[in-house]
Amino acid sequence: MTASATGARAAAARPRAWQRPGRPPAWLGVSLLATLSLLVVLPLARLVLATFSQGTSVWEQVLASEIAENLLWRPLGASLVVGLTTAVLATALGATLAGLVVLTDLPGRRIIGTLATLPFIIPSFAIALAWDVVFRNERIGGHVGVIHGLGLPVPDWLAWGIVPVTAVLVIHYSSLAFGLVAAALASVNADLLEAAEVAGAGRARVLRGIALPLVSPALSAAALLVFAEAVSNFAVPALLGLPVRFHTLSTRLVGAIETGQTERGFALAVILIAVAAVLLWAGAGATSRRSFATIGGRGGRRKRLSLGRWRWPAFAVALAAGIVTTVVPSAALLLGSLYERPGSLDRGLTGHYWIGAADAAIAQGQPGIFRSDQFVSASVTTVALGLAVALAASVLGLLIGYLLSRDAGSRLASLVGQLSLMPILIPGIALGAAFIALFARPLGPVPALYGTFALLVIAGAAATLPFAAQSGRAAAAQVATELEEAATVAGARFPRRLGAIFLPLVSRGLVAGAVLVFVKMVRDLGLVILLVVPTTPLLSVVAFRYASENFVQFANAVTVVIVLASIAATLVAQRVQRATQPWGAS
Amino acid sequence: MRGSLTRLTIAATLLALVASACGGGTAPGATTITATPAPTPTDRFAAMDQQALEAEARKEGQVVVYSFTSRIAAVKKAFEEKYPGITVNATDISSTEQITRIKAEQESGNVKVDVAYISDVPVVFGELVQKGWLASYVPSSFKARVPKQYQEPLLANRLSTKVLMYNEQAHPGGPPVSNLWELTDARWKGKVVMVDPLVRGDYLDLMTEIVLRSDEMAKAYEAHFKKPIALGSGVKTAGEQWIRDLYKNDLILAKSTDVVNAAVGKTGQASPPVGFTTYSDRRDNAKNGWALQVANTVTPAPGISFPAVFGVTKGAPHPAAARLLITFMMGDETPTGGPGFAPFYVPGDYAVRTDIQALKDAIPFAEFRAWPIDAAKSFARRQEVNDLILKLK
Repeated sequence: MTASATGARAAAARPRAWQRPGRPPAWLGVSLLATLSLLVVLPLARLVLATFSQGTSVWEQVLASEIAENLLWRPLGASLVVGLTTAVLATALGATLAGLVVLTDLPGRRIIGTLATLPFIIPSFAIALAWDVVFRNERIGGHVGVIHGLGLPVPDWLAWGIVPVTAVLVIHYSSLAFGLVAAALASVNADLLEAAEVAGAGRARVLRGIALPLVSPALSAAALLVFAEAVSNFAVPALLGLPVRFHTLSTRLVGAIETGQTERGFALAVILIAVAAVLLWAGAGATSRRSFATIGGRGGRRKRLSLGRWRWPAFAVALAAGIVTTVVPSAALLLGSLYERPGSLDRGLTGHYWIGAADAAIAQGQPGIFRSDQFVSASVTTVALGLAVALAASVLGLLIGYLLSRDAGSRLASLVGQLSLMPILIPGIALGAAFIALFARPLGPVPALYGTFALLVIAGAAATLPFAAQSGRAAAAQVATELEEAATVAGARFPRRLGAIFLPLVSRGLVAGAVLVFVKMVRDLGLVILLVVPTTPLLSVVAFRYASENFVQFANAVTVVIVLASIAATLVAQRVQRATQPWGAS
Repeated sequence: MRGSLTRLTIAATLLALVASACGGGTAPGATTITATPAPTPTDRFAAMDQQALEAEARKEGQVVVYSFTSRIAAVKKAFEEKYPGITVNATDISSTEQITRIKAEQESGNVKVDVAYISDVPVVFGELVQKGWLASYVPSSFKARVPKQYQEPLLANRLSTKVLMYNEQAHPGGPPVSNLWELTDARWKGKVVMVDPLVRGDYLDLMTEIVLRSDEMAKAYEAHFKKPIALGSGVKTAGEQWIRDLYKNDLILAKSTDVVNAAVGKTGQASPPVGFTTYSDRRDNAKNGWALQVANTVTPAPGISFPAVFGVTKGAPHPAAARLLITFMMGDETPTGGPGFAPFYVPGDYAVRTDIQALKDAIPFAEFRAWPIDAAKSFARRQEVNDLILKLK
């Protein structure tokens, strides 16, 4: 279709606003595009430009020199395998749990539902460390894991490399898929399911024929998010891959940036973004053409699908999975903060690392975290940042979701949709570096932002945009346009339609998205590590500093605080917005 | 025609934004080329005596320092006890990260840090000092007591190390290795641990030094294998051959020095690995249940030593307090250097001051066989060594 044809059609189709009810005003798309340009296009442009700072030599090295195989091609292959496997398995696992919790009469739905959201709250490196505690073999030396300690030799493939990396990522990101799919399932009009049951459809048929297609936008959104997050995760392959020299694109990228070969790192980032963009394009194309409106004006109490004799076996399996993926890593973290000697019980336990006064004989004189000024100020800054970013990202996500669902098919909307997903393909540390490069000096009317809280918020909003946009999109896709059309006919203008109809209906999905964003920001390290200055520390950075100085107990203690803060945020959000806990309302 | 107008607006907005991004992209390069080490107000402080410096520092009230070692926490405590009213705002971050951060601060003109206590001198001297972002401060009282090579281009207070260490509980008779080439033998297959040199600059410096010392590596080869070295195809130096053979012998890479320390040092292991790490980490043996010891006798050398240096940033917000802190960390007039130097007065670290008493439980510096690195030569070869390691798999 040519540009002029589109223009003519658009012009002809909208002589008067009320003839295209529910369509968002043009300024919405344009201003969203401008905002996304600032958050996404500019950092990307800066990234690409940097790779050409020495002509094409960086690209020749990365693509075609002797080092290309180990720097790019093998890690790229590994990233694709890990990313795709994780996307499929994590989505399957998360969606299955979501289905059980939201749609069926599974016993203990609240517990299972809560456990299923936790792995995303626990930082991925903590889950990797838990894997290490259980499966570590003699390859590195030093201590061994629990299984090896019992006299059962653990093969290298199970202790290190692609298998444990993928397994840990599946555990971590399954809860992301769970959150998105559960929110979507909870919004499915119960009448549809009941009608099918009344019509005599079996359980399997109801699920396959009705529930599954209805949540397919959420499924594809979850799979895409998981893929993108998994390929850009750095901590897990660095911990579990390095001893067998297993590299992904993200570990190579971070290595290059950390050792000052910034342009090379940026080139790898550009390739990672390009590859993932192709996949996103395909994924978006598969789901954007159909209507998924499922929330009508009415809704009712849901009749749950009966699991019959599978109730208790399903409960046992789900509970075991929840405990292994959440309670075990959490307990390992807590215990790790209490050891007097890192990682061993030789000297017993102590509370020093939490509440002890500075003692020159312990940890070079560092006081317990609750007595550290740095910890207190970092806590305040972290919470403030989490809230600010959650708010900014949610507003953007709401507007993007609205635009995508009400202006579907327009080029502007699909451009906005694709741009909003881009940041997730940029590993945090690369995005942080791009933001430093971009805002290190005054940019037009914007002053140099290095070292300011504003830069953290802007970078955070950019990094979490895909989460907010996807939850906004999944939620918006289910609100039937008829409601708005009715309002339009009744004379309501865009802001009122948005505030009085759209916002209340999508708030469930939106709050879920905001909590995700908050949690992600509170525990994020890669993005902020380069942006944070000593005068405004964040908890994750404090934990990282402790860890890199071998103050393992302090690092674990701070990580426990991060996890608790994230759980608290989730619980508060659930209280404020009861409906975000779809398995709770029966 | 509203549709095309919209598109026009979008295109114009995008163009404007991208154009300003491009502007932002070229500007740093353009300015850094013209930026030569500018005359800083160093002279004003060089002429000041200790009392004048202290008075000025009190007015500033604090000093911000980045340190590559956590021992800065002990320095902070001691400094604040000696100079109540002047706060030390200390952050411990790796040298590699300090370099990235200082670059960002200098390019934005938003300078937060006053003092960098840093290693990885090939990059520090080759880039940060070169661009005038880090400047030297040598208190006049130390000029005669520190060898010239540790005063220029930045002042050091001690030497740190990356050397071959072993488990002395498992090998009470001394180092299990006498020649670096033994590490390429079947006996040590999968039993050598090192931090990935592609992630941490100090270890890349170690690999670079081994390549620079290829003549000595060739001699060591002959001593071990009783035949002259024959280089593999595409291999240009004996150092490169050793790195290649070491990787082929299932070298185990780790993320941080602590992982190596625990792997090599943990007591109670039947056959612990050996690994390259920091000699002075031996000080934590009792605390962490380790038995780390340096393999000083290994041929041709156990590893590298390198200076830990001080740089004052260009545009430092607290220039007098910065200099007061450096003076403090150089130590006082007592034979052990007093509280300012105490955190570094440990076996395995070597003071550069000629009047500091040597430690008894450490190998005397004259007998310590690690190669001192050559910052300029190392800077010139670093990238090449990085890329040849990148080719290995």
